[in-house]
This record gives sequence, C-alpha cells and structure tokens, in this order.
Amino acid sequence: MSLRGKAAIVGIGETPVDRLGSKPGEPRKSTAEYLSWAVRLALEDAGLTKKDLDGQGLAAIYTTNHSQPFWPEEAANILGIAPAVSLAGGNGGASGVSLLGHAAAMIDAGIVDLILVVSAAAPFSEHGRSRAEPADTRDFEMPFGVMGPNCKISFVMSRYMHESGMTAEHFGKIAVTARYHATLNPDAYLRKPLTLEEYKNSRLISDPIRLYDCVLPANGGKAYIIASRERAKTLRRPPVYLLGWGERNNASAGPRSNANPLITGIRESGKTAFEMAGVSHKDIDLLALYDDYIPIVMLQIEDLGFCGKNDREFFEKTDFTIKGDLPIQTGGGMINCGQPSTTGGMLHVIEVVRQLRGEGGGRQVPDAKYGITTGLGAVNYGKNFGCTAAAILGKNP
Amino acid sequence: MAEVKTEIPKPLPEITPITQSFWEAAAKRRLLMQRCSDCQSWVWCPRPACVECGSEKLAWTPVNGRGRVFAFTVIREVVGRALRGFAGDIPYVTAWIDLEEGPRICSNIVQCPIEKVTIGMPVEVVFEEAGRGIFLPKFRPQ
Repeated sequence: MSLRGKAAIVGIGETPVDRLGSKPGEPRKSTAEYLSWAVRLALEDAGLTKKDLDGQGLAAIYTTNHSQPFWPEEAANILGIAPAVSLAGGNGGASGVSLLGHAAAMIDAGIVDLILVVSAAAPFSEHGRSRAEPADTRDFEMPFGVMGPNCKISFVMSRYMHESGMTAEHFGKIAVTARYHATLNPDAYLRKPLTLEEYKNSRLISDPIRLYDCVLPANGGKAYIIASRERAKTLRRPPVYLLGWGERNNASAGPRSNANPLITGIRESGKTAFEMAGVSHKDIDLLALYDDYIPIVMLQIEDLGFCGKNDREFFEKTDFTIKGDLPIQTGGGMINCGQPSTTGGMLHVIEVVRQLRGEGGGRQVPDAKYGITTGLGAVNYGKNFGCTAAAILGKNP
Repeated sequence: MAEVKTEIPKPLPEITPITQSFWEAAAKRRLLMQRCSDCQSWVWCPRPACVECGSEKLAWTPVNGRGRVFAFTVIREVVGRALRGFAGDIPYVTAWIDLEEGPRICSNIVQCPIEKVTIGMPVEVVFEEAGRGIFLPKFRPQ
C-alpha cells in the first residue's frame, strides 16, 4: 500500500523547552500542562478548535517518566476530547515519525480525516517516578554498570571509529554545523556558537562520547495535526504532504547474537520511504535526523544512502549547512533544541514542516520542496536502535 | 541527627525462569549460553525460543569463556539514580566482547589498566561475586 500524498500535516505546536525542576524550589510544570499547551498551539496553527477533534483520531506517545498503560486515554481525558480512534506511540524517540505513517494509513482507510499526534514529557519536573527497563537491560547490562544510552552508543561510536577511521574532527564538524543552525533558530535552547576546538575540549562522559556529542534532556510538549488530502485543502495553512514512509524495528544486520552495530534499521525504513515517495537522493533539500548523539547522525546519512559506509572523504568534503550541498539539522536538532524524553523525536517532523512552508526565517533552506526526517528509539543489547522510522515530506502532493 | 553512612547497592539481575540456568552455572564459574538444537544458532540474551528459526529446542551449552574486545567505553559519570552504586568504581571499563563461539556479551574488563584496553584485545572470563549468591561473568586480558 502506498501512502503517497494521501495525508498532510496541517498544524504544528511546540512549547518552549525548559529544565524547570532541575534545581530545588524551582516552579514546575507537569506533563499534562506541556501536553495541553502543545495541543493548543497546534490547533491555533491549523485554525481548528478542540471540538473539531471529537470523533477524530488521537495519537499519544508514551514517555519514559510518565508512562501508564492507558496513556492515550489519559491524554484524551486531559484534553477533554472523545476520539473515534486512539493510537499509542510505543516506539520511543521513533514514535513521532512512526505515527506519521500509522495516522496516514487510518486516514487513507477512511476511518477519520484528522489525527492529532501529541507528546509531552517533564523529566526534570516529575523526577522520581520509576521507569521499567527491558529484561536484557535489567539483567545483563545494568548489573555491569552500563550507564544507559550514553554507554551503549559509546560502544557503537568506538567501533565506528575503529572501522572507519573517523576522528573527533569528523564528529566535531557535525556538532558545529548543528550549533550554527541553532544560532539562527530563535526557538533553540543552546544558541551560543560552538567551535571545533570547544567540541574537542568538551569533557568525556563515556569515551569516546563527549559532552557535545550528547543530547540535552529537557521538559516540553510537541504536537502536529495530520489530515486527509481533501480536508487539508480546506484549512488555513499550506499543507505539507507525506510522500514516503517506512518503519523497521528490531533490525539485525547479521546474526541476532552477533550483529553489525554500525548498520541501523534506517537502511530499510529509509529505502521504503524513498521507494514510496518516488524521489531520488538529489531531490532532497534537507535532512532532519534523529540526533540523540552526533555519531548516530553520521550512521544515518550512510544508511539512507547519501554516501557509502565509513565514507570519511564524504564527511570531510560535504557542506552540511543551509548554504551547502546537503543541509542537515537545520534548526539545530535535538542536541541544541532539547530532548523532552520521547517527545524529542517530534522536533524533526516539525522542523521539516516549517522549512517546507518557507517559515524557516534566518535558517530557511532556499526553495525547499522535499525533506526527509527520521526517528530512532531504544538501544538494543549488543546492537543499535530497536525502533527506526523514516518519512519524506513534500511541499506538493 | 547523626549521619548514617549507607552503601548504595548496585542493581542485581532478576533471576527469571528463562535466565535461571545461566545464573546457576555462573555461580559454579561456568559460562553457558543457549544454542538452537535445530538450526545451531547461538541465542543470547536468553530467550524462550530460537530468535533465528523459532524452534523451542534450545540447549544450554558451555562456551570456553575466551573472546576479543569488540568495542568498549570508559564510564566517567553516573547517569540515573538506579546506578548510583557505581559512583565509587568510576572510571571503569564496560565492553562488548565477541566470544570465540560467536555471541557478543556485554560486561566489564577487569584486572587491566584502563589505558591498556584496546579493541581486538584477547580476554577470558572471570567470575566476580556480586551479592545474593550471584556471580557476574567479567573479562580480563588472556
């Protein structure tokens, strides 16, 4: 089944991110407040009201610090809407991109013609809640002092450097580019220019991962509204069409007990998205890649087929800025705009919508027609990401 | 109020029906992994059925405990409340070790100065008691 041009994003909403609650005595906001706030912004953007969502679709993404099994229902209850279909985003940071396809399929099947996708998290304000871990993590990683994703992605990065010969210069170039774009984005959290020297001198967290390789945890809420092509034409904003989409979970490049951790499921999800969209790599005007860590951005550029594996020369020669050959992370990415847990993955979808609407301001990619975005979630034992999704969005159907 | 010094415990594995054989063997300083009797694939971490062919005929099979460091990291900061018990160990090395038989295991490199750890380094298993009768398979240079 092709979802090409069947649905479009018609509204986006993003609260500012903050780290309220990280210091004792600071005022705090709950997950519910960020959720409600993001939805209000998305509805205002789309020119819709809460009433328009009754009898339509709701998709709510589970977050790590506020997860209970009936979360989509609690989200509907917080908002005061009565969905005709509720979807749950259970793919972690990949959910924002995964749900683009799940929602478009529901719309294409004629079940509903609007779906609100929302996510919010307040890890600093609602700390202290316990989180459940997958059994492999609980039994075979945590007892050895594996410090979560920092440590697991360090394994991947150490192997990547070993096999490819990539150095701090290569990773630093990506970090500096993303921060440069953040300086042009009034909504970014980290906006002070970053130099290659500052990147290289940043402290080691989990060798070879440095501070500036890591995403910035934050509180915040994000939402988008996706509509059928017909409904989209009646609304106030220029629709941004879903042209291609793919998802691949629990990928394993090689035997499951001994996989190549440098190949991600993005290789398959990206391929599916390109085939559905019917566009080629040279058509793509910008990449908005899931960026919990800098080396992961590079592995995805490889796995999407913009270059070969371990292609040092490509990373040295290519200008990844908005003025360059292959603009990436045009708003600064999660690394500079903050990661409110699994909500972080919504950032890149929203950035592509802004660029394709021509609302990028000082960071606008000239005449952007096609953008690709990715989402990643969970880091599996001995491999890389458990959940992956890719989507190609376009200005025209 | 007098300050009470309490040691923060490190997390231990939960012993489940699927993992019980592994931990019982580890307590006897033996490293076992599941192997599929039908397709001969190694299965790690423990699973109810073969993740390659679906067969439920999995046999706990000894491995010789030797392998090479596939990737590693030096942990320099504690992240998350659950792992605060490791604060006193920092810096320490966690690694992926590819065993000679094939499976990749996540563990620590011990009895080796941090700066001497390299990718490709030959290592062998050594069991360390972690409490509650649980022995963790760790790895030292061969």
